[in-house]
Amino acid sequence: MGYPHKPHARESVVLSEHFGSAEARTLAGWRKRGGYQALEKALGMAPADIVSVVKDSGLRGRGGAGFPTGLKWSYMKPGDGKPHYLCCNADESEPGTFKDREIMRWTPHALVEGCALGAYAIGAETAYVYIRGEFTEPLQQMNAAVQEAYASGILGANAMGTGKRLDVHVHKGAGAYICGEETALMNSLEGKRGNPRIKPPFPAVSGVFGMPTTINNVETLVAAVEVVKRGAAWYKGFGRPDNPKSTGTKLYSVCGNVARPGNYEVPMGFPFRDFLHELCGGPLPGRKFKAVIPGGASVPIQTMEEAEATLMDYEGFVAGGTMLGSGGVIVFDDQQNMVKQIARLARFFAHESCAQCTQCREGTAWTTKIMERIRDGHGTYEDLDTLLDIGEQMTGKTICVLSDSCAVPVASGIRKFRHEFEALIPKKQGTAFVAAAVA
Amino acid sequence: MTAPPAVRAAPKMVTLTIEGRQVTVPEGTNLIEAAKVAGVLVPHYCYHPGLPVAGVCRMCLVDVEKAPKLAPGCATAVAEGQVVHVHSEKAREARKGVLEMLLINHPLDCPICDQSGECELQDYTFQEGRDGSRYREPKRFNPVEDFGGDVLYVTNRCILCTRCVRFMDDVAHEPVLNVSERGDRATIGKFEGADLTHPWAANVVDLCPVGALLSKDFLNKARAWELDRAASVCPNCTQGCNSVLEVRDNVVVRMKPRSNEEVNHFYLCDAGRLDYRWLNRADRADQPLVHTGDGLERSDWEPAIARAAAVLAGKRAYVLASPGLSNEALFLLSQLVQRTGGAGAFRVERGPEAPLAGVPDLALRAERAANVMGAELLGFAKGDAPLSGLNADDVLVIADHDLSQLGAAALEAIDRHRAVIVIGTTLPAGLSHAAVVLPLANVAEEEGTLTNLRGRVQRYFQAKAAPGLARPAWFVLGDLLAATGATEQYWTPGEVFAALAKGHPHFAGMHYDTLGLKGAAPAGALAGAGA
Amino acid sequence: MSHGPSAAGGSLVAAPADHAHEPHVPVFTGARRQELDMILGRYPTKMAALLPALWILQEERGWVSEGGMAEVAGVLGLTPAYVKGVVTFYTMYHQHPVGKYFVQVCTTTPCNVCGAEDVVKAFLQHTRCGELGLTSPDGRFTVIEVECLGACGFATPVMINSDFLESVTADTVPDVLAELR
Repeated sequence: MGYPHKPHARESVVLSEHFGSAEARTLAGWRKRGGYQALEKALGMAPADIVSVVKDSGLRGRGGAGFPTGLKWSYMKPGDGKPHYLCCNADESEPGTFKDREIMRWTPHALVEGCALGAYAIGAETAYVYIRGEFTEPLQQMNAAVQEAYASGILGANAMGTGKRLDVHVHKGAGAYICGEETALMNSLEGKRGNPRIKPPFPAVSGVFGMPTTINNVETLVAAVEVVKRGAAWYKGFGRPDNPKSTGTKLYSVCGNVARPGNYEVPMGFPFRDFLHELCGGPLPGRKFKAVIPGGASVPIQTMEEAEATLMDYEGFVAGGTMLGSGGVIVFDDQQNMVKQIARLARFFAHESCAQCTQCREGTAWTTKIMERIRDGHGTYEDLDTLLDIGEQMTGKTICVLSDSCAVPVASGIRKFRHEFEALIPKKQGTAFVAAAVA
Repeated sequence: MTAPPAVRAAPKMVTLTIEGRQVTVPEGTNLIEAAKVAGVLVPHYCYHPGLPVAGVCRMCLVDVEKAPKLAPGCATAVAEGQVVHVHSEKAREARKGVLEMLLINHPLDCPICDQSGECELQDYTFQEGRDGSRYREPKRFNPVEDFGGDVLYVTNRCILCTRCVRFMDDVAHEPVLNVSERGDRATIGKFEGADLTHPWAANVVDLCPVGALLSKDFLNKARAWELDRAASVCPNCTQGCNSVLEVRDNVVVRMKPRSNEEVNHFYLCDAGRLDYRWLNRADRADQPLVHTGDGLERSDWEPAIARAAAVLAGKRAYVLASPGLSNEALFLLSQLVQRTGGAGAFRVERGPEAPLAGVPDLALRAERAANVMGAELLGFAKGDAPLSGLNADDVLVIADHDLSQLGAAALEAIDRHRAVIVIGTTLPAGLSHAAVVLPLANVAEEEGTLTNLRGRVQRYFQAKAAPGLARPAWFVLGDLLAATGATEQYWTPGEVFAALAKGHPHFAGMHYDTLGLKGAAPAGALAGAGA
Repeated sequence: MSHGPSAAGGSLVAAPADHAHEPHVPVFTGARRQELDMILGRYPTKMAALLPALWILQEERGWVSEGGMAEVAGVLGLTPAYVKGVVTFYTMYHQHPVGKYFVQVCTTTPCNVCGAEDVVKAFLQHTRCGELGLTSPDGRFTVIEVECLGACGFATPVMINSDFLESVTADTVPDVLAELR
């Protein structure tokens, strides 16, 4: 990556090539770097042909679920007489993830181009970029880029002189993790509480404003620009030859206890061990890696042994007992108490639960209370069983997966770091009171 | 309803198996409704057939064979060949989990909760919940809030099913309730100064599956299990909303809606439901009275009826009939009018109309009596001066008509009138010169039928005992007609209705016994549907 | 995504109530009204302009009062209760007046493992707020913990009003505050 470090020799910088270059933020600078060529090319193609190229490239959603992008676009039926919408999910709120932020800060025109291209491909005239309210600088950069794009005729009633209408609007969120869930984002965009919707109907049938909608992550749309510009075959060239299901490059955000946190772009299938030790510089001096959450707070925790045996793509992370998720790599070293950190994660989810589903509204808060009680030395062995059982109730039973996400680190934490939990549980009757008194 | 059903192709039917029972239901039906057809109750909280699906309580999760996850019964449409298990181990465990979660912050205050005994959280927990809670943390606490109108919000008991919010949004079309905050801090909220004053707002109390929304009127009045319930029809306007009268110790303590898709769906307006106290009034006519010359004296029924017949002999009867009387009573009164060559009239009290926006053709109607249509069909003239046709020689028969709104001139005319017979639930002031007073049971104390503004004929049932010697109007009027020489004899209100149906085209083809709990639209309306 | 000191994210502790009952002076007049009209043109429904309208209100008044919610409701054809339900969902709308500098410190796991709790302590100490969610005696500061600000690689990120600071440590807090004075 270009910021704040120079790219590591083993990175494959495609999306992050211009990170750190102030000039790339401007329309002129972006054009100099090949910007808007893909859009120009796309506007000369039939939308179905763009969808085919993206399908062929193997590009999958970079927001967390990994759904094939071309397939998603192909669900938008042309000629249904309804307005279509593209939503760009720039609500990046998954703890550990800050890649979309850098894309918008450094290459806002790449995203404007991606939105315009994506909108055209799905038969939409309007794209909304939903950016979380805390992202003040990305909001500024995106607003400036959109303004430039309108002023130069890239967007508007006659986009790039083609006679086609393409609008891109920036919509500012107001503080809610759950709005990163696609249907919650649509509700929020409509001026409602960010409550996830029951599916079906799926967004391609009834999305934002009740109209056929496609929603893509920032990184996905920016990658689609490169796919259209350089071709599907080129994109497929990144990845393990033995795993055609994961193609292209992926931006990972690395944070926590590593020597060099930041964003790194590597091809699919990159060895996680090399990634952590070479690219990210390994642990801080005098410390040892203990655990890693590789795909944002919602995916299972890996022990360092598990992580070091993992290959970084959709299938590789699943084989490693976790998921690629959003690509937010959170690293824990031997100074960290896993109980405390898992309790903190639970608290995050309890704070962010939208309050619709019973298991999530009550379960996330209950989980947090038990976790914090154990952390504070007042836990019991029964609490561990209760936590696992509550987690079971919170999994696969609600409208969205926020409650599952809360259960995941707790369950994997108890399974993999049970000794840390047990170390905090008073051994004899009455010890809890002593501990409380001392604390 | 008058709206004719549209001519459309029969819906596509889908056959599936629920709890081992095969059912065939229209395409698009959800699994909760399909299960009802199979005679299986899928426990649920947030789902209500009158409201948009929210899918949030997660109580109705059912086990659908070949599906990877449990499916919400409210939000899952039937599919051909589907095999659904409501009581599989997996589904029961999930419900047990939801019940435990709903209870962790719910106070266990059933002994002082109005909902106790009719609480779905209590019922399902008793049926299939855990026998103890594993929750060891402090419960959250929020104060009780007055939502205005008849509604109190007991925040701590709320399970956030959002039925109340959806009712105000999508049925009342007045979004004055919201979900405030999020996560476990969420509550139902309203805006300071914007109360639940909508004329149908009290329905949120019925919709609330737990004791979170309570009626101030019913607060601490009775336990659910002490109540006797009877199906009735709201007597307070011409809409004819189906209702339930709830009685304790022979006192009506609450009126609630009874669902009828054709009339009131699931609802009852505030004015209607809260106007039940008159059914309990203590100053009732409870004994036949006969004028002796010195004044009204107590009498037995037979001499009183004989005296009334004697007063009527050879005279024209001018009947001032209450538009709240049953079809049966009005029919017999109309017979009396015919036999004597007399006339009948009534005045109906009016008030502002208050529609429920989200339900077609449902409103608190301007005319505030239950049987205006029946009275008109049976020949009684509606007008603001119902005594204008009264001749000096007529016998004025006041059949439970409210005199208080008639005006001073009319009251004076009644005062001056020589021959007056009172047949009613009360003895109005200033009628001490009446020749006879025949005491009637009120609408809560008898059974019969009423005709609503769209001509729908609906039965109501007896909810409590009449005071003293008071009798149902059909009984009294049947005896009176017989005493004036009529040959027909009636032993049940059904027999009176049969005679009415035989003689009057509006009621043609209707049978008292088959009116059932939902009533029937007149044949004319049905015939119109084919056109 | 801010929260106060207690429970799994209780809402903000009420700040001094003296502003709370001042009558609301309409915001959507003149230029602000025109701005809203332009925003309305971007969406097929008026309701969709609710979040932007609330942002304008907060920019103008510093917080979102009940009077402000009622104004927004009127302008967009919504009920005040509806608007309030939305306002209380999103943590960035202040439902109470806050200090001149509203300091949000991320303490979610990725920052937590890098010492974010010490950063919070340093802010509380140096601003003299004392407690999360309370406004400092001089009315200048309100400090709260916030959930993931999405800059985890730059632990600890801190937002002061709309300024986004990266890599703040307990040691650099006095310098950060000095910049503001």
